[in-house]
Amino acid sequence: MSTEISRRTFIKGATAAGVALAAGTYFTWNGHNIPEPVKHGDVTYDVLVIGSGGAGMRAALAAAENKDLKVAVMTKLVPTRSASTMAQGGMNGVTGVTDPQDTVESHVFDTVKGGDYLCDQDAVEYFAEHAGKNIYEMDYMGYPYNRQEDGSFHQRKMGGSSHPRAAYFEDRAGHAMVHALFEKCLEQNIDFISECQMLEISMDGDKLNGVVAMDMRSGNLVGVAAKTVIIATGGYGRVYWIRTSNPYSSTGDGIVAGMNIGIPFKDPEMVQFHPTGLAANGVLLSESSRAEGALLINGQGERFMGKYAPEKLELATRDIVARGIATEIAEGRGVGEGIHAGVYLDFRHIPGERIDERLGQVRDLSRRFAGVDIKTEMVLISPTCHYSMGGLEMADFRTGASRVPGVFVAGECSCVSVHGANRLGANSLSEVLVFGHTAGDGAAAYAKDHAYEGNQEKLAQACAKWQDKFNEVTNRPKSAGKTVPEIRDAMVNTMWYKAGVFREENQLQEAAMELSALEKEYEHCYVGDKSHVYNTAFEQYVELGNLLQVSHSIVQGAIARKESRGGHSRRDYPKRDDVNFLKHTLIFKKDGQYVTEYKDVVITKYQPQERKY
Amino acid sequence: MDATLRIQRFVEGKSWVQEYTVAVTVGMTILEALTTIKEKQDPTLSFTCSCRSSICGACAVRVNGNAELACEILVENLLKRYDTNTLFIEPLGNFRVIRDLIVDWDPKYAKLKKIKPVLQPKAEFSAETGCKQSPEDFNKYKKYAGCILCGSCVSECNKNTLNQDDFLDPFVFVKAEKLVADSRSRSPEEHLQAVQDAGLWRCFNCQECTAKCPKGLDPAGAIEKLKEATFRMGLSQDVGGKHAKAIYDDISESGMLDESKLNIKSEGFFMAGLRLPMALRLMNTGKMNPLESHPVNPEIATIRKVVQTAEKEAK
Repeated sequence: MSTEISRRTFIKGATAAGVALAAGTYFTWNGHNIPEPVKHGDVTYDVLVIGSGGAGMRAALAAAENKDLKVAVMTKLVPTRSASTMAQGGMNGVTGVTDPQDTVESHVFDTVKGGDYLCDQDAVEYFAEHAGKNIYEMDYMGYPYNRQEDGSFHQRKMGGSSHPRAAYFEDRAGHAMVHALFEKCLEQNIDFISECQMLEISMDGDKLNGVVAMDMRSGNLVGVAAKTVIIATGGYGRVYWIRTSNPYSSTGDGIVAGMNIGIPFKDPEMVQFHPTGLAANGVLLSESSRAEGALLINGQGERFMGKYAPEKLELATRDIVARGIATEIAEGRGVGEGIHAGVYLDFRHIPGERIDERLGQVRDLSRRFAGVDIKTEMVLISPTCHYSMGGLEMADFRTGASRVPGVFVAGECSCVSVHGANRLGANSLSEVLVFGHTAGDGAAAYAKDHAYEGNQEKLAQACAKWQDKFNEVTNRPKSAGKTVPEIRDAMVNTMWYKAGVFREENQLQEAAMELSALEKEYEHCYVGDKSHVYNTAFEQYVELGNLLQVSHSIVQGAIARKESRGGHSRRDYPKRDDVNFLKHTLIFKKDGQYVTEYKDVVITKYQPQERKY
Repeated sequence: MDATLRIQRFVEGKSWVQEYTVAVTVGMTILEALTTIKEKQDPTLSFTCSCRSSICGACAVRVNGNAELACEILVENLLKRYDTNTLFIEPLGNFRVIRDLIVDWDPKYAKLKKIKPVLQPKAEFSAETGCKQSPEDFNKYKKYAGCILCGSCVSECNKNTLNQDDFLDPFVFVKAEKLVADSRSRSPEEHLQAVQDAGLWRCFNCQECTAKCPKGLDPAGAIEKLKEATFRMGLSQDVGGKHAKAIYDDISESGMLDESKLNIKSEGFFMAGLRLPMALRLMNTGKMNPLESHPVNPEIATIRKVVQTAEKEAK
């Protein structure tokens, strides 16, 4: 045996020693995930943004342009882990650099038509007017745009757009955006309150006290006083758990916090399902699969899209294809059982070189997660929840304000309404930029004109209440009840089968009852981790509570909307009904009950027409 | 098939290795295995994750001593690679551990701030009209825009293991090269100077970062490009830079290293003087003889051609 120690072995040993030392010093070391004054409760922010995705960081940068204002971004992870990073296609905005024929009117019309006329057209006009401007701003901020020969960023055409108007970085448009914004935030020394799970927005009557959050690292409850709060916490695709392309963090935390202080959840039933998620885990196989000619085949070996879209077949719009697949599975012509059932996506007739050239990622994902090489075998797919059009009502799209004074909303957690009943590709990143910017400006203006009127004692009381709750919840014995994942799986079964791609009255009513029962079980569920340090089991408990409330709202909205429009498809009301439902659903949470109200859609130029592609 | 996962636990100051058994299914990633354990066996096991499609960077961990993105690496493939039924999972190396597999990113962001990590566009550009850049110039830095801040590159970085205080993380160099190579920038030297001051020339060139980057970004290559840029932009005052220059001069002039002068050229007379004991040892073993005149490699013509060709290629 050699007595010599190789350099590598030596270094590994040294590393082990280093890790041991680091472990030993951990408790004397002071984390900087939270600015020091926040820990001691002696700071009042002018603008406190919840969420570090595209909307949150864009809002923070806009607000921080006023150097007199104190601005912070709170996030439950660390920045750059958000759903925004997953956006692939690009950001729409009319600039005319690639296609001089493009116009703002065209962007407005495409968006309104795509949204099945449930968009507020004045908001869409504002959105389209500002979207191009935001693309230029990002260029100046260092966004790595793919370029065209004249040196401008290049714009490509996305589904449902009449002109090429999506600027992008490769197939990682969102990732590049988030990192550009984050780097700018570092440069601007924006305060980050990282690894803090927001639990509650605390109010004293109609005065905003601030935000209650759990510092994940210490388990301490922190009350952050703020004159304004911008909720930018993203969507809620995780109500369908593995049947979503969304990250684990998309649990609707901000929507629930907003609802609990009186902001209505607008159009919660409007969920977009993408037709081709891997049956195994919901991960998205890109739209380009169908564009390159992949066929959809059911369990009986039959190419079935002819039944649902005789002309366009596999190339019909997302909602039509998703409904076709869901029908095949529901009627017993799918493959596999339960939530993993699907139909086949067949690439075998596509030349191998073309697959290598254009579908590399699709092939890679299929091989990795389904164990299938698409060149020789078919891959099992089924619809996956992709985007939440609904969200907290934005009362004024020129400021991002909600109906609660001092509270603003932006991004996927909000409902402007720009996307109406169905979002177009590459409109989400632009929405995030336009309304992130707007909300940042709006909150800054509000903070400048208002003194802090909240009650810090009430904020401290809210923290104490959550501290008690933490202690009670985490100390429950195993015999207390079902585990958090067990309740979650039951919730997902309810949501996927009874409030998923298709809905109908009886099933929705059953879903509401099942959710009420689950909410009861949730009250005494088993969490199983008592530690104060980074208790992700408790965090998941909090997220499940939020998902249950979001689920219940989706079901209420779906019951209220007795028509089919965009992402909302009722078997018992298969037609769009502009006479009765050209209006938004508003779901309020009042005294533990879900209350439904309606609000008319704003129409300026475009009267509803039948939506044909 | 069952796999045994031995997981490095660390909770409130206590550390231990805990063993779990999971049934391996088709397409099961390390992240899925961890999730299954947390949901079915042990709710106290802690880790972070978000997108589960290898773009958010939240889930990197160390498996059998090598950094991996938990959401994209299959248990089955790892078992094959290591020809085993047991995998050892730890938090990333060169990070402070907060709990179990969760590590502390704060010091990393502080390092990122050191390089002034944002583009300062040229005067002819504006926020209203954006910037201009040719597709060729875009190609020069686009690879480096793909960093997802997962931390895999630094996990096995030998220089960071030795001392983190006088060096940066490999991903910080990647971010820096992105800025330095971006033709929209009016001040690439500013980032470059910051990188040089923060330890550019201290890289061991061990290539662990390049081997571990799940996005194939080649951080070690970025470090080399930054070093080149210090010459191009006339910033080579650093010892590392002078050392490289001295080697270059020796090779082009004589085709052989002149050990007796190399150190003096790199560090200057005074600092080199402090290395006298090493010089004596070198003389003792015959590796260096300051009294002999420096020989010229008989193949000098060929060597010069090689140098010239390499220089042409680099341009």
